[in-house]
Amino acid sequence: WGAPMEKTRPRSPPAGRTPPTSPPTTRRGATAPGPRTTTTTRHRCRSRTVARALAPTPTPTAWRRRMMPRRKRATPPRTRLRRGTPSGTCRSSGTRTRSTSVTTSQRGRSRSGTGRAESTASSAAKITMMTGTRLKIWDDYNAEEVKITKEEAKIISRMMKGKTPHANVDPYPDYVDWFEYADKGHPLSNAPEPKRRFVPSKWEQKKVVKLVRAIRKGWIKFDKPKDEPNYYLLWGDDTDTADNKRQGLSYIPAPKPNLPGHEESYNPSVEYIPTQEEIDNYQLMYEEDRPKFIPRRFESLRSVPAYEKALREGFDRCLDLYLCPRTRKKRINIDPESLKPKLPSKKDLRPYPRTCYLEFKGHGGPVTSLSVEATGQWIASGSSDGTIRVWEVETGRCLKVFNVGADVHHISWNPSPERPILAAIVGRDLLLLNAEVGDEETQVRTKELLHVGEPTPEDDGDKKPAVRWVNNDKFDGITLIHHRAASTVEWHSKGDYFTTVVPTGESRAVLLHQLSKKHSHHPFRKLPGLPVAAVFHPTQKMFFVATKKFVQVYDLQKAEVVKKLESGLREISSISIHPGGDNVIVGSKDGKLCWFDTDLSTRPYKMLKNHSKDITSVTFHRRYPLFASSSEDCTAHVFHGMVYADLNQNPLIVPLEILRGHLSSDRRGVLDCKFHPRQPWLFTAGADSMIRLYCD
Amino acid sequence: AAAAMDADASRQVRVRFVTKLPPPLRAPPTAIAVPAELSRMGLSEIVNSLLLSAEPDHQAQPFDFIVDGELVRMPLHQFLLAKGISAERVLELEYIKAVAPRKQEPPLPHDDWVSAVDGSNPSFILTGCYDGLARIWKDAAECTQVLEGHSGAITSASFINKGVETDGSLHVVTGSKDRSLRLFKFDTSVTIGSSKRIGAYKILPGHTSSIQSIAVDPSRNMICSASWDTTIKLWAVEGSEEDSDTVSVKKRRMNSDASGPEESQLEGSASSTLLGHTQCVSSVAWPEQRTIYSASWDHSVRQWDAQTGRETWNMFCGKALNCLDCGGEGSSLIAAGGSDPVLRVWDPRKPGTTAPIFQFSSHSSWISACKWHPSSWFHLISSSFDGKVMLWDLRTAWPLASVDSHKDKVLCADWWKGDSVISGGADSKLCISSGVEIA
Repeated sequence: WGAPMEKTRPRSPPAGRTPPTSPPTTRRGATAPGPRTTTTTRHRCRSRTVARALAPTPTPTAWRRRMMPRRKRATPPRTRLRRGTPSGTCRSSGTRTRSTSVTTSQRGRSRSGTGRAESTASSAAKITMMTGTRLKIWDDYNAEEVKITKEEAKIISRMMKGKTPHANVDPYPDYVDWFEYADKGHPLSNAPEPKRRFVPSKWEQKKVVKLVRAIRKGWIKFDKPKDEPNYYLLWGDDTDTADNKRQGLSYIPAPKPNLPGHEESYNPSVEYIPTQEEIDNYQLMYEEDRPKFIPRRFESLRSVPAYEKALREGFDRCLDLYLCPRTRKKRINIDPESLKPKLPSKKDLRPYPRTCYLEFKGHGGPVTSLSVEATGQWIASGSSDGTIRVWEVETGRCLKVFNVGADVHHISWNPSPERPILAAIVGRDLLLLNAEVGDEETQVRTKELLHVGEPTPEDDGDKKPAVRWVNNDKFDGITLIHHRAASTVEWHSKGDYFTTVVPTGESRAVLLHQLSKKHSHHPFRKLPGLPVAAVFHPTQKMFFVATKKFVQVYDLQKAEVVKKLESGLREISSISIHPGGDNVIVGSKDGKLCWFDTDLSTRPYKMLKNHSKDITSVTFHRRYPLFASSSEDCTAHVFHGMVYADLNQNPLIVPLEILRGHLSSDRRGVLDCKFHPRQPWLFTAGADSMIRLYCD
Repeated sequence: AAAAMDADASRQVRVRFVTKLPPPLRAPPTAIAVPAELSRMGLSEIVNSLLLSAEPDHQAQPFDFIVDGELVRMPLHQFLLAKGISAERVLELEYIKAVAPRKQEPPLPHDDWVSAVDGSNPSFILTGCYDGLARIWKDAAECTQVLEGHSGAITSASFINKGVETDGSLHVVTGSKDRSLRLFKFDTSVTIGSSKRIGAYKILPGHTSSIQSIAVDPSRNMICSASWDTTIKLWAVEGSEEDSDTVSVKKRRMNSDASGPEESQLEGSASSTLLGHTQCVSSVAWPEQRTIYSASWDHSVRQWDAQTGRETWNMFCGKALNCLDCGGEGSSLIAAGGSDPVLRVWDPRKPGTTAPIFQFSSHSSWISACKWHPSSWFHLISSSFDGKVMLWDLRTAWPLASVDSHKDKVLCADWWKGDSVISGGADSKLCISSGVEIA
């Protein structure tokens, strides 16, 4: 209530804002420490910096305490109290001061004694009565009338307004922190710290021991389980709740049924009830499409019948639980395409044989072997019908038929274009014959070549010679009579040497022959098994002998084994050497094809299991990076087989095409395959007595 | 009703029939509306009815229709959609007589595969056979002469003086797998009923492997031959008899071994050899005096300067080629086929590209021969190992006609008299399909 009064008193000094509560506390503040601290804190909040600056000067409180008695003495004992005039001093002696202070405020009453309360109340009434005219107060205690001086009235009026009794009191003096001793040199109390502050408390320890025991015995429980509500959200999603994350079996939540609607009520509205016609229509629907629940109306809940499918569904549920798999199969989700090796596109690897355009028909039995002439103009084929045929590639016309009268097992055309000579295993022996193609000079030379002079006398002491060279008058050729049945014949790339393999020949199993000298020898005495095929290295003086499990690489000059390739196959059936000479492919009778990189290892670089039946023949193309395998399953497979000049780069093998078309005959399929020497074409000889030409 | 009328109107195309045919086959040039779903059969009927109304004794015949240089081979609205032609304006349909053989003549029987045929003479057909004999058939009916002497199959045969008779005799050259060419001369006034055997008057040996193809130059003085030995040799028809007299005794003896009676044979030698191919040269063509085209199994087509013997242009196509012919516009297009069922046409004048400008792929096996029509720029025939001879028009990708009269591989084909297709095959027959009217 100070602020509006201030406005009515324009002549009051500009002491500033005067909160009504603070002034009365000032007098008693010196003795009572409680309220005093509150005022100090308030002051500190307001103007600590100012207080620090003025710290040596005496604060108003101190000043008042010192100055008040002096002023008491200075002021005259009684002055007329005139209203509205400011007074410089205040009476503060003895009982008078006490009585005035009592009458001014209620707060004062609470401070004063109880015996005085009635008199003060009545005197207060008197004051208020008298303020209008003369200021006289009747003192009950002393039973006298007290005249209030002007100064006293002024003080009273100030106190009644809730102001400080004296106008020149600064209610907000700068704060002086008397207890601040940071730089004062000694603490507030100089007494030494008592001992008990350094000794652990015995009673505390006893209490702690008690608590520890109680905790250990379980008398004290810390995490008291919270009271779980015994209701739960029936339709809520319970896939993530804690008890679903069990150990071991992962939880599969049951599918949630839909929330029940109005139609599932026992007494739904009429519009939910289907008509009889609709119910009849339901019967015409499929079982799955038919609605599972048909709403019905009942008079009361009591008349609702028992659920008719309860037993059935209970049984089904039990059955589900019983049949439910107890383990969850972990599926690895991998795109199968990503597991495939990155191979170049087939389009980029063209040309390669794809389509059969030509058929060479004429043989009367399975075509067991074929061979292509060095320039690719003719092919020769041998068949089980006892004929050797020479065909023109260009038109598929059969040019010549040699009726050799026995099964032809293997045929090979001399790789030299100047020597149109065919070497064929007929029956058990080798027949060299003139294919009768080429110009006259070549013919003359060939005829000269295919003539054995005087048979060289053999050592009689030796057993039956391995090979005898005999003129064959029927075909103007030479027959090499072997001591045992020969199986394959291969020419050297120069066309003078050739080799025959006699599988059962033991130490004379692989024979080398020289056409120009009509000479044969058998340099390989020891072989790791029965030999299957033998081929010359295309460029170097090396020789490959394939036995049933191994491929031996011989150096022909030193006559020693250089390498022994371990195929790991059950039985090798055919072998072909890459034109570079460092890579060998081997086909086996269990349908597997092995690629050896002889520089890399003696083990296969790649093993391809592509045929379901025996591989009958494998072959490399001489110019294109192609190789092919033919099999008894009536297919021939064509692969891209790129060998790089860079030794660090492994050969690239890409399967390209499966060539079909041959028919199975007597459970035999394709018996031989050979590439055209210059075009990316493949010839296949089939057991269906046909030769097919596959072109790009 | 309005919507129906709209739909009806959208199905109609206004066309005007124009033609370059002579007047009795010229329809009135007024624009008429025809249903859009008509294909060439329906259009042909309309033209026939128009002609019939103009001239009562008109004989109905099939026509083909050309829009913007393309033959209509589908319903008209599809065609317009495919070509992006507006159906609003009046469509100019040029009609020509449909090109297809109308008649199959009786086949001419041979003893072996017919591997070469030449129909450049209007009264004689020359065929070469695998039995080493070449035959002259007069008027496609009877064999009048048998040209003998080769010991191997004849691969190609050609008239030297095409149609032009000098002193009543015609000259013929044949190439064979016995590595030689032989020149024959026969009298045109031979009585019918006897097949006379004629020996060669000149032998041109020199190739080391079988001859695959021969071509005669336009001036008829030179012959070029392509062989498996990767060379092309040029031979002079006349002259060089002086050389032939100096044939070594050994060679003469060898020749007499090969073929007995002819003592009066001359021998010639090649005037030049064109080297460059790396594999068998399968076909040659000599369309102009200076240029020779050759196709080879090394996947290339090469152009040679006949005078200098230099290679002037080459092109690789990725397939082994079996046949080649020059023709078309200014006889500058090259058609070639080979080891795949696609007949390709190149334009060597186009710079910087070796992509074929036309590809015809209705065959199902190797193409053995292709020939341009001697006068038309658009028509060519191809024969294939699938036993079919197909007739092509450059203006459409579909074959105009397919002749199925062969039972086996067709090895050779040619035009005869400009209106017949003759083809010989592995069924030892020469089939003649006549009545191909090319206006």
